Amino acid sequence: MSTVAGTLPAIGSRAPAKRGLRHLAARFARNRLALAGLFVFALVLLIAIAAPWIAPSSPIKTDFTAYLQPPGGRHLLGTDELGRDVASRIVFGSRASLEAGVVSVGLGISAGVPLGLAAGFYGDRLDNVLMRLTDAMLSIPNLILALTVVAVLGPGLNKAMIAIAAGLMPVFMRIMRAQVLSERGREYIQAARAMGAADRRIIWRHLLPNSVAPIVVQGSLNVAGAILTEATLSFLGLGTQPPTPSWGSMLNAAQQYLTQAPWLSIWPGIAIAVTVFAVNVAGDGIREIWDPRTR
Amino acid sequence: MLRWGAAASLGAGILSAADLIPASAAPGGAGTIRVALESDPPNMDPHRSTAAVDRQVYQNLYDKLVDTDENLRIMPMLATSWTISPDGKTYTFKLQQGVKFHDGTPFNAEAVKYNFDRMRDPKFPSTRRSELGPVIGADAVDTYTVRVTLERAYSPLMYVLTDRAGMMVSPAAAQKDGLNFALHPVGTGPFRFVEKIPQDHITLDRNPDYWVKGQPYLSRITYRTIVDDNARVASIKSGDTDIVNVPPLPQIPSLKKEAAQSGARFRVIERGPFAWQGIWLNVTKPPFDNKLLRQALNATIDRNVIANVVLQGAADPLYSFFPNGTPAYDPSWKIPPRSVALAREKLQAAGHPSGFSFTLLSTPGQQQQSIAQAVQSMASEAGIQAKIQIIEFGAFLSVLSHLQHEAGLIGWSGRPDPDFDIYPFITKSGVGSFNDAGYDNPKVDELLDAARLLQDMAQRRRAYSEATKILADDMPYLWLYCPKEYKLVVPRVRGFVDQPDGMMRFRTVRLA
Amino acid sequence: MLRFITHRLLQMVPVLFFVSVIIFTLINLIPGDAARLFLGEEASPDALVALRHQMGLDRPLPVQYARWIGGMLHGDFGHSFKDNRSVLATVAQKIPVTAELSCMALVIAWTIAIPAGVLAAWRRRTAADYAASAAALTGLSIPNFWLGIMLIYLFAVNLHWLPASGYVPPTQDLGRNLRTLIMPAFVLGIILAAVVMRQLRSSMLEVLSADFVRTANAKGLAAATVLVRHALRNAVIPVITVMGIQLGTLLGGVVITETIFSVPGMGRLAVESIYARDYPMLEGVVMFSALSVLAVNLAVDILYSVIDPRITLEGGRT
Repeated sequence: MSTVAGTLPAIGSRAPAKRGLRHLAARFARNRLALAGLFVFALVLLIAIAAPWIAPSSPIKTDFTAYLQPPGGRHLLGTDELGRDVASRIVFGSRASLEAGVVSVGLGISAGVPLGLAAGFYGDRLDNVLMRLTDAMLSIPNLILALTVVAVLGPGLNKAMIAIAAGLMPVFMRIMRAQVLSERGREYIQAARAMGAADRRIIWRHLLPNSVAPIVVQGSLNVAGAILTEATLSFLGLGTQPPTPSWGSMLNAAQQYLTQAPWLSIWPGIAIAVTVFAVNVAGDGIREIWDPRTR
Repeated sequence: MLRWGAAASLGAGILSAADLIPASAAPGGAGTIRVALESDPPNMDPHRSTAAVDRQVYQNLYDKLVDTDENLRIMPMLATSWTISPDGKTYTFKLQQGVKFHDGTPFNAEAVKYNFDRMRDPKFPSTRRSELGPVIGADAVDTYTVRVTLERAYSPLMYVLTDRAGMMVSPAAAQKDGLNFALHPVGTGPFRFVEKIPQDHITLDRNPDYWVKGQPYLSRITYRTIVDDNARVASIKSGDTDIVNVPPLPQIPSLKKEAAQSGARFRVIERGPFAWQGIWLNVTKPPFDNKLLRQALNATIDRNVIANVVLQGAADPLYSFFPNGTPAYDPSWKIPPRSVALAREKLQAAGHPSGFSFTLLSTPGQQQQSIAQAVQSMASEAGIQAKIQIIEFGAFLSVLSHLQHEAGLIGWSGRPDPDFDIYPFITKSGVGSFNDAGYDNPKVDELLDAARLLQDMAQRRRAYSEATKILADDMPYLWLYCPKEYKLVVPRVRGFVDQPDGMMRFRTVRLA
Repeated sequence: MLRFITHRLLQMVPVLFFVSVIIFTLINLIPGDAARLFLGEEASPDALVALRHQMGLDRPLPVQYARWIGGMLHGDFGHSFKDNRSVLATVAQKIPVTAELSCMALVIAWTIAIPAGVLAAWRRRTAADYAASAAALTGLSIPNFWLGIMLIYLFAVNLHWLPASGYVPPTQDLGRNLRTLIMPAFVLGIILAAVVMRQLRSSMLEVLSADFVRTANAKGLAAATVLVRHALRNAVIPVITVMGIQLGTLLGGVVITETIFSVPGMGRLAVESIYARDYPMLEGVVMFSALSVLAVNLAVDILYSVIDPRITLEGGRT
């Protein structure tokens, strides 16, 4: 098979047969850096949920007498070109980023897993067709695919998430399929089949639970990428719709004021970098406990 | 495209004296001028062009029958003189002799006839037909005299011929290449086409046989496409380009500050406004089929804030289709002050005392989004909820021309003749193309049709004034602002005259 | 070997077929009328009919698709809606630009990643390891469009060291060519560097614990020799796989980088074609991008067998 297949070669094929989630959690807890990443991610999540209570003021309230104010004073992080409080926009902007990260990966998983399962379980011709289809999807550069999907659906956060998910789906499909293939030949599955267990039962009781870990590992790493892709689409004006802030769209607007008001570019840039960093570190931690080679 | 969001607007103004850089002494110089354009010119065939940025290149590649000067007067170019019959239906042009196209084809009355036929050929996907309006055709009277016949009088024609419809392409090349003419365009202009690498650059070289002796002075022009606003501005600061077209409006204050410092690498040239920007309110469906609701929204808008805060003074507030300084401008027009109280009154009268909501369509440009959000914020104080929806430009145009929108934020680059700043946008004939309000008012149509028949600008102005009065009350289009026209130019560029239309003509430019 | 390559090439056919179906379907789902868009607001009914016919849009979709595929099989990829430019010629103009940019990005990525990855693995769990890993993660976490703008401001506007944007062919002026591409290549390379470094570190760790490295150490070979001759050589193999896989992502990153730095490559062409509804051009770009991704992946697999003779192509990897 072509190497496009093994999007994450370390995972799936080499994964040990059984590893409980609790066991993984215990190992994860020992990785302090990963724990810190998870903590930061949880913090951002908390900020996103509690945004209305945390934000100093409304993220969309304009003040045409106090535009492009430098940080400090009444506005901790300054104001933007329409006099809106940047701190509040950063706080509320976390929502779009997290939503994009989590929902688009979730969509990718929920579309990719059943297809991968079908390909692996019912095999042969269907498998062949589905795998060539994922090869095809993976060979189209992801941002070009995303931009074309946005051209079809129109801009907006929800549509951007679908566009991102379209690029992630084949990845999960492949992981699920690889998992099914490696489990299918195992004795306990053979035994279950011999005993006349229905396909559905085998899938639900055996295949899916064993696939949770590799999916979670891959998913956690993709969350970081999805956050960046949403920022990129918003940067191109095709993501979150104004006046709702997102870090990417804030950066898009801030571009015009690089010399006049550099802080407008710095805060959202830092917010994206820190969040993505945290997700990456946490994702790494998850991957390490799953695949000790990478430690 | 012919129509732009503000981010891509290319307006120009009318006052100029302060911006003129005197041309230095002797002709015959050399050098390459490097120009930064804001988007990639899509098509080099002037009779098929729909993008404003194409016209930048055409100015130097093609000559037109007539041109405008910096005061918008019509000047001879390929036509040395002309007469218009008293009924306004026959235009006779005397042509410049001894002119050759870049491929050696002689320029004469037959060539002009060919060009008119080409633009009007129903089998050729021409984009010039509507501008030519009632033109029936052109005939060669003799080798250097051509007669253009019209169905009825049409006063905008002379200005139309200063633009793409007046640009003469080589009949031999156009016949040979058909649609591929755009790939190797041939004109009579001061520079001839060398190459175009899409998204990268266009190169024009000096036409050594140019019919104006000694001109042009430059040996080469390279147009580079730099889409990113910051990168385009940076290109002149880093010494990679000599002229930057369309520096982004919000950056103008800081660019001016920088240019004022000693040893600055560039100057900022500013011209009064030429283009206009605003919001189409679709009068064919709710909520804006109700005039009171249009007036209510209008009353909430503070045009001064938009021009001076959001655009930081790089635009003027606007309350007509004619920016201050264009021929049809009437000094008696006033910008109405913002009044939330008036807006509430109108809402009350319309039976929506607590306001209403509508969807405002906009294109992805950053500046458009700022304006949309400013309008949204102003309207919300009277209880009018604007839901902003960004759609990509192609889809945007299609939605608007099919009148599927409620409100859409888009403007126009402006034309030297006032007719093209108002007629197609507001008359019944423009519905489905430019009239994105679906507005239909026989009284306005009558006034604007009458203006087309009048040759005298003072008389035409009265008709436009009257139409404007009706529109200011009816509000199918919510005028917002008119952006000023800016260029960044390095000091070594001499003899550059920034024209009202913002189009860069390099025939008389040299490098120090 | 030959059989393997033939097999793989044959496998590409259905993949490319699916790519063509995907892109053709998506394009025809895009709302709006391309012909109308190209005529602008001045579209008269006759002009519209003429243009639709010229664009081939007046035919049923299956016919349009068949004509497109049929054309491609004869080497005719169609013509731009914008100015009738040949798609094939335009793409041929853009591929070398993007290829050069990508290669430079790869060189930058490996130059950073190899020493960093080796160091991190060799001095595992030391400050050096943590610093290198943190730097790699930072590289992965910074939005590349943001980094691009910051670099332009620093190196072109403030320091005047590098041109802000643009492209000069290497045949015309190699020095200038490199100077214009260094910033975009760095922006692209930094992300790849992070990926390569992380992968290299983990495969180095694995190799360093392998028997033959221990043997080499026991034989008293110098640490540097062991690291480079034995460990690195073996550790690099899985890294190459990752590089092959990353190509799709790299080409995605090219879209943004080329736009910000005005590099006239495949990425810019793709974006402009999407925005301008230049469907034949977009179809061509996507087909060629997909083809190059598939080709690079094949090349990577072939490279495998060259670097590591233990891998037999016939039977897959051992």
